[in-house]
Amino acid sequence: MPETFDTNRRRLLKSVAAIPLLSLLGMSLTGVSARAAAADLVYGASDPAAKQGGSLTVGSLIEPPSFDIYHQAGEAVNFVAPLMYQTLVYADHDGNPHPLLAESWEINEDASVYTFKLRSGVTFHTGQPFEAADVKYSLDYMRNAENGTIGALDFADIDTVEAIDPLTVRVTLKQPNSAFLITLTHRNGSIIPRDWYAGENARARLNSTSVGTGPFRLVEFVQNSYMRLERNQDYWQPGLPYLDEIVVNFIPNSAGMLVAVRNGRVDMAVLVRPQDAEQLEGVGGLTVQRSRSLNQKSLDLDSEHGPLKDERVRQAIALLIDKEAVMQAAISGYGQVLGTTVPGLQERWGVPLGELPNQTVDVDRAKALLAEAGHPDGIDIELRTIIGYDWMEPAALTLVEQLAKGGVRVAIQRLDLGTWLQNFRARQMGFTLNDWGTPPDPNILYYRHFHKKPEGADFRNWANDEASTLLDEGRQALAYEDRKAIYDRFQKLLAESVPTVMMFGADHIVVVSDAVKNHAMHPIGWHFGLVKTWVDK
Amino acid sequence: MTRFIVFRCLAAVLTVWLASMVVFAMVRAAPGDIIEMMMGQMGSSEGEAALRRFFGLDQPVYVQYFDWLGRVVTGDFGSSWRQGSPVLELVFNAFTVSFELALLVLIVSSLIGVPLGLLAGYRAGSAVDTIIQAFNVLFLATPVFWLALMLLFGVSTFFYWSPPTIYVSPLRSLGDNLVILAMPMASLAFLQIAAYAQFVRQHVVQALQQDYVRALKARGVPARTILGKHVLRNILVPLITFMGLIFIQILGGVVVIESLFGLPGLGRLLVNALYARDFPVVQGALVMVLISAIAVNLLVDILYRAIDPRLRS
Repeated sequence: MPETFDTNRRRLLKSVAAIPLLSLLGMSLTGVSARAAAADLVYGASDPAAKQGGSLTVGSLIEPPSFDIYHQAGEAVNFVAPLMYQTLVYADHDGNPHPLLAESWEINEDASVYTFKLRSGVTFHTGQPFEAADVKYSLDYMRNAENGTIGALDFADIDTVEAIDPLTVRVTLKQPNSAFLITLTHRNGSIIPRDWYAGENARARLNSTSVGTGPFRLVEFVQNSYMRLERNQDYWQPGLPYLDEIVVNFIPNSAGMLVAVRNGRVDMAVLVRPQDAEQLEGVGGLTVQRSRSLNQKSLDLDSEHGPLKDERVRQAIALLIDKEAVMQAAISGYGQVLGTTVPGLQERWGVPLGELPNQTVDVDRAKALLAEAGHPDGIDIELRTIIGYDWMEPAALTLVEQLAKGGVRVAIQRLDLGTWLQNFRARQMGFTLNDWGTPPDPNILYYRHFHKKPEGADFRNWANDEASTLLDEGRQALAYEDRKAIYDRFQKLLAESVPTVMMFGADHIVVVSDAVKNHAMHPIGWHFGLVKTWVDK
Repeated sequence: MTRFIVFRCLAAVLTVWLASMVVFAMVRAAPGDIIEMMMGQMGSSEGEAALRRFFGLDQPVYVQYFDWLGRVVTGDFGSSWRQGSPVLELVFNAFTVSFELALLVLIVSSLIGVPLGLLAGYRAGSAVDTIIQAFNVLFLATPVFWLALMLLFGVSTFFYWSPPTIYVSPLRSLGDNLVILAMPMASLAFLQIAAYAQFVRQHVVQALQQDYVRALKARGVPARTILGKHVLRNILVPLITFMGLIFIQILGGVVVIESLFGLPGLGRLLVNALYARDFPVVQGALVMVLISAIAVNLLVDILYRAIDPRLRS
């Protein structure tokens, strides 16, 4: 069984080299070749050899609770929603913004006013034309917390959204934000027809029909069983999508999934436990695709939780953790050890691990720090894990052993997701394992999690003034070099003060049958790639 | 008889009503609610409050309960909070999947298990009996989930086949439906066959020592008639109780099997709804489980009286 390490991404990297990274500053791309290359990066690389038609069955261990995309968060929704709903901007595998529903944009000098020229001739699945009023409605609805929306915090920055003419929208921010384009790439920025939610039973209807502009439309969604998407015949990108149909089959059990993949009951499966890939070794007709992600498996330390109030205790804990060993135990090495950012951002934004404090195991120093903090006999602490996250159990058991060496005696407390989320949102996360991802920008990764209240959510009660100032500066700086310098300083602070230990990021592991062609998983783990996937059956 | 049935039905209604209160309180006593599951790590406090109002979760629990009860007595179980589909429809669809599976298991395992038990009991101590007993001990001790996994892996490895993972209802295609259900059914059936065989064997051995059997034998009545006409009749009452119990057990115990084979049954519906804190579905599904358990018990009691004239007085 061949194993490909993201060959498509490499191809993309080659083609992206032709594009200046200016688009981050809002300068729209000009020139025919740059435009063509840019179009080729939306949803991954096109394939001139692609055959139109066919059906693809995707096995999924997780199931979207609902497709009420404005009120329902979660990866299970994220991973398929982008096939049906589109945003103004698309972020490629390297985090560069590209026009999607917006054809181009202009940004004022201090990145506080974004003017979008919208694509013409686009229609919603409902048949309505896509216009500026829809963009205004969608962004206004999403940013109003009173609507119970999930993206209100993401768009809290927006001051006004104006429909200048049917194809022009101007978004004015309360303060400059150079990462706003990338913020818009998240599915929270999906555009739906104006006044959709004012309609009767609008939320529930999103589970039987899709109302976006995306390349696929929802035809059937049968709870606990499967969902079926059909090619959008009126889709605006010529020649796309390649597939006629996508069936997502929900198989909640890993063993059941592996057997289904082996016997061709599904053409493709995303493995949540990367080590499951080992079980498919030697199976003919299957390829395991492995690619880097924007995900992190971290250990969070609530700065108001018992002994963790003392920075020295947090540092001692960081000094006792052998991240590589935890990763080996948890996901058999199908990932990357982290410093202070996620794998997909490391190259461009991360500080090399060697330049960060508290990254290598030093038991003596950890003990000394604990003693200095008034705990010469060590501390007792409960480590929370979430039931259903397979990697957490072996990781927690490994951490128990590692931390014990320095006198940190850990008892594992297993919580169900509902309880864990309640603690998390109440900012009482304590000492816990966490699993989260980010769109490809440091502002989005860090701001909400680590900026002090009320601007950020500061889930870990870090309340660090210096970090907050840096995060504000990073949000406002425009040039890459300036932003990089600011986020470097921030990351060193993060590693020094330890509100979190980012341990490792798991690779995306996708198993595909040989009939599946031109598939590349986006680092964020959502199925953008299926737009340009085709089947040779 | 009619009075008995009416009385039992009233008792059943009372039981369901009391249990519904317990269920209602229990699901709400669990930490977290659907708001957490919807907003994940993304929410804001205003948003939370807005959603809580939307679902009526800002009301006191007793108000929510009477609101719910008031609608349930008119047959309205509400809609799923996640998907908006009517609870009754969701529960009914899921129930039919589990019910069909349980019924298939019941039929197959009684058709195989009862004759095996009769044979083993009649030939107690013989080689046949030893073999059947060995089978019983083996499968009574084998966890259903493990057996299902072994079947799935075994068949997949040696025959390159596994059941289709998208469920098809028997109304759409009975053939496809049975192909999908065959392996889950077999996984559950082995244990039940063993249970039936063991149960029947025990009763047959006891019956054979009784005077009426000896009298029949002395009169030269053939073994088949003794077993089929006399012994089996006598053990029918305990056997039906046993079948009722087992049926409820299968209906409640298929959760792991449903998840392994991707079947959209009641167990999976309930577990997923519980994780998502989709209260209307949890309540609807649990009430359905209760009603079916009570219905089976009721049916067993009525059957007793139909079969055994001594119980009618």
